[in-house]
Amino acid sequence: MLKYDFYARYRKMGRAKYISHLDMVRVFNRVFRRGRIPVSYSEGFNPHPKISFALPLSVFYESECEIMLFSVTEDLSADELLNRFAPVMPEGLEIIEVKAGKPDVKHLSYCLYDVYCNLPSSDELAAFLALSSMVVPKKTKSGIKDADIRCDIADIKLEDGCMSMLLSAGSNANLKPDVVIKAMNKYINGYFSGDCEYLRKSIYTNDMVEI
Amino acid sequence: MLNIDNILKNVQKPSAYTGGELNSIVKNPDEVKIRYGFCFPDTYEVGMSHLGMKILYHVLNLRPDTWCERVFAPWIDMEEEMRKTSTPLFALESRESVRHFDFLGFTLQYEMSYTNILNMLDLAGVPLLSRDRGEGDPFVNAGGPCAYNPEPLAEVCDFFTMGEGEEVINELMDAYIEWKQEGGKRIDYLKKIAKIEGIYVPSLYDVEYNSDNTVKSFKPNCPEAKEKITKRIIKNLDTVTFPDKFIVPYTNIVHDRISIEVFRGCIRGCRFCQAGMIYRPVREKSYKTLTEDAIKLINSTGYEELSLCSLSTSDYTEFPLLATELLKVTEKEKIGLSLPSLRVDNFSLDLMEKVQKVRKTGLTFAPEAGTQRMRDVINKNVTEEDLLRSARLAFKGGWTTIKLYFMIGLPYETDEDILGIADLAHKVVEAYYEVSPNKKRPPSVNIGVSSFVPKPFTPFEWAGQNTREELRRKQQLLKNAITNRHVKYSYHESDVSVLEGIFARGDRRLNRVLIEANALGCKFDSWNETFSMEKWNQAFINAGVDPSFYVRERTYDDIFPWDFVDIGVTKEFLKKENEKAKDASTTPNCREKCSGCGANKLCEGGKCSVKI
Ligand code: SF4
Repeated sequence: MLKYDFYARYRKMGRAKYISHLDMVRVFNRVFRRGRIPVSYSEGFNPHPKISFALPLSVFYESECEIMLFSVTEDLSADELLNRFAPVMPEGLEIIEVKAGKPDVKHLSYCLYDVYCNLPSSDELAAFLALSSMVVPKKTKSGIKDADIRCDIADIKLEDGCMSMLLSAGSNANLKPDVVIKAMNKYINGYFSGDCEYLRKSIYTNDMVEI
Repeated sequence: MLNIDNILKNVQKPSAYTGGELNSIVKNPDEVKIRYGFCFPDTYEVGMSHLGMKILYHVLNLRPDTWCERVFAPWIDMEEEMRKTSTPLFALESRESVRHFDFLGFTLQYEMSYTNILNMLDLAGVPLLSRDRGEGDPFVNAGGPCAYNPEPLAEVCDFFTMGEGEEVINELMDAYIEWKQEGGKRIDYLKKIAKIEGIYVPSLYDVEYNSDNTVKSFKPNCPEAKEKITKRIIKNLDTVTFPDKFIVPYTNIVHDRISIEVFRGCIRGCRFCQAGMIYRPVREKSYKTLTEDAIKLINSTGYEELSLCSLSTSDYTEFPLLATELLKVTEKEKIGLSLPSLRVDNFSLDLMEKVQKVRKTGLTFAPEAGTQRMRDVINKNVTEEDLLRSARLAFKGGWTTIKLYFMIGLPYETDEDILGIADLAHKVVEAYYEVSPNKKRPPSVNIGVSSFVPKPFTPFEWAGQNTREELRRKQQLLKNAITNRHVKYSYHESDVSVLEGIFARGDRRLNRVLIEANALGCKFDSWNETFSMEKWNQAFINAGVDPSFYVRERTYDDIFPWDFVDIGVTKEFLKKENEKAKDASTTPNCREKCSGCGANKLCEGGKCSVKI
C-alpha cells in the first residue's frame, strides 16, 4: 500500500497537559477518524494507526513543540492535512504545522524548557551552575536511583518571570526540568522553588538545529 | 474556576477530574437560568460509561436556558486531597463548586452507591437531609432503576423521577423557570412538580408503621400529591432525542466506545429480573435510525468501537438486517463492533467470526440455574439441550473459552439445583471433547456465581433472601462438587448481596442507617478495597434498625414501601407469576403470547408496543 510520510507539530496547553503520553496515542487515533485522515495502519490481527512521537512529554507539562509522526495512504498535501486536523482537535491541543517527510529525530539531543516558579538570584544560579556534581534521585528504567545530572544541564538562564533551561534530551540522556528543580532546592542554600509550571519550548539536534 | 492543579499532582488519575474533553459542553454562566449538576455516584471511569447520563446531558444542554455539567464521586485519593485543601465537590465543565447549583440530579444504578450520594453531598457542603435544605440550596433529586423503590433515600432526595427521563426532565426545567418567575418558596416548586406524571416528592407523603415495622399506611399529606405515581416511558424511540455527540474521555473508562440503544424493555419474563419488568413494554428503534445514530457518533467522536446496548440483543426483530447494515459501516470505518448479550446460534456465530476476525476469546452464556426445574421456576426459557447445542457450535467454530453465569439463593431452590450447576459445567467440558477440532488445546469453562437478590417489581418481590451463612454453605457445596480441572469457579461476596437486598426492598427507616453509615465513613461499597461489613453492622446498630427485618419473606397482605409506584406491570400479574414459579410452570415470552402483564396501558391507546 502507498505510504506518504508526514509529521505534525502541535501545542499541548491548558487542560490538555493532564493527558498522559500513553493516552495521546488514543487521542490521535480518534482525531484521524474524525478528520477523515487516511492514516496508515499496522498489519496484523489487530491493526492500529502507526504513529509515533518525537519525545514523550510528562503529564502536567505544557508544550509548544510536540511532534507526531504519521503516514497516510493517499497523496494529500500538507495544507490539506492541516485543514483536516484543525476542526477536530480537542481543547488544548492545536496543530501548528504539518510537513511532509520525517523530522530528524535520530539526532534529537537537547530540549529547551521554561520553568515558572520562585526564581533564584543570578548569583545563586551562577554558583549552582559552577558545581561540578549534583546528585539527586532520578527515575530510570530500573526504578528511582541517585544520579549525577550536572553533565546533562547545558545551560540555565534567568528570564522575565521564569527560568529557561537547556537540557539533554533523547534516548541517550534525558533530563527533565523537575529533576533540575530538585537539585536547585537541594544545592542552593535557602532557596525554595515553590510550585512549578513547566513549558517545553523547542527541541534540537546535536548541532542545535531546531527540529 | 477552582485551582486544583496542585492536588491533581498527588492523585493517580488526574484526567478523571479535569474536564475539557472533546464534546463536553461549556456555556457562559451569565447566559443560563439553570445550573444542573448531573451526578453519578461512582468514579469517572464507571459513570462516563453510562448511556443514560450521555442522553440526559445532551437533552438538558439542548436548552439554551440550562447548563448541565457532570459530577462524579472522587476516588479515595482525590477525596483526601480535597478535604485537606477544603476543595468542595465541583462540576467538571466549569470546575466550580456545585453548592449553589439549581439541581443536583443523581442516577441510581445500584443500591451499593447510596453512601456515595451522601458523601458527595457532604463534600459539596449541601445538607444531607431534604428537610435541612433551605431557599437557595439545590434541589437534590434522583432517577434510574433503583428509584422505583425510592424510600431508602426518601429523606435525602427532594424528589424522584420514575421512569425514562428524556421528556419529564424538560417539564421539570420549564416548571422551574415558571416557579422562579412566580417568586415562590422551595415548597411551592415541590408541590408544583408533584402534579407532573412520574414525579414523586417524598415529603408530601406520610407513612405509618405497624408494631412489627411493616407499613400500615402510606398517604399523601396535601392535595397536590397523587395517590399513585405512574412511571414515564418514551413511546416512540425513533423520534426521541438521542445524542449525536458523546464526550470522548482521555483516560481509559470502563466502556470506552459508542453505544447505541437498540430497544428498551425485554420480551422475556425472567422472574428474578427487575430490568425485565420495570422497562416493559418493549419498544424498538428502527434499524434505519440506529444506523444513522451510529454514523453520526462515529463522525463526531472518532471512537474505534461501536457496541449495541439492550437487554437481549438477539430479540431485536430485524437483527440480521441491523447487523448487516452496521457491519458495512464499521468495516468501512475500520472500527470494531461489539455485540453483547447475543443468543448463540449459527447466525450469531457467523457474525462473531466477522466482527472479531481472529481472537476467539470468551463466549458468554447465562443459564442462571443448574437444573431444568429451577430454570422453569425462574422462567429462564433455556433448556440444557439449547445450551449444549450452542456450546458445541462455538467449540466447533474454534472457541475454547466459555463463561457461564449462574445464581444461587433463588426462591424454591434445593441442594440438587446447586449441584446441577457443577453437572452442567462438566457436560460443557464433555461437549468440548466431543466436537472441538483441536482437542489438544484444553477448554476453559468459567462459571461465575452470584447470589440472588430479591428486587421490587418482580415476581420474587415476596421471597425471603438467603442469609450469608446459607449462601456461604451453598457456595462451598458447589465448590466441592466441581471436580473437573477445566472448570473454574468464582463467586461474588455474599455480604454485599445481602446488603444490596436490604436496600432494594427497604423503607424510609433506612435513611437513618445511611446517615450513620456515611458518618462511619462507608463509601464505594461496590468496591472490594473500600467495602467494610463491620462499619455497616455498626451503622445498623447506631440507627437502631434490625437488618434481618428486610431479608424476611413477605406475605401477599404486606403493604410494600414501593406500592404507590405504578410501573404498568400489575401486582396481580407478579403474584400470578410467583404462584407459577412454585409449580415450576413457565410463561411464554411476549412475542409468543401476551400474558396480560398490564404494561400495555402505558402505550398509545392501550395497545402494547411489542412487535409480533
Ligand atoms: S402487555 Fe403483554 S405483550 Fe405487552 S409487555 Fe405485557 S405481557 Fe408483554
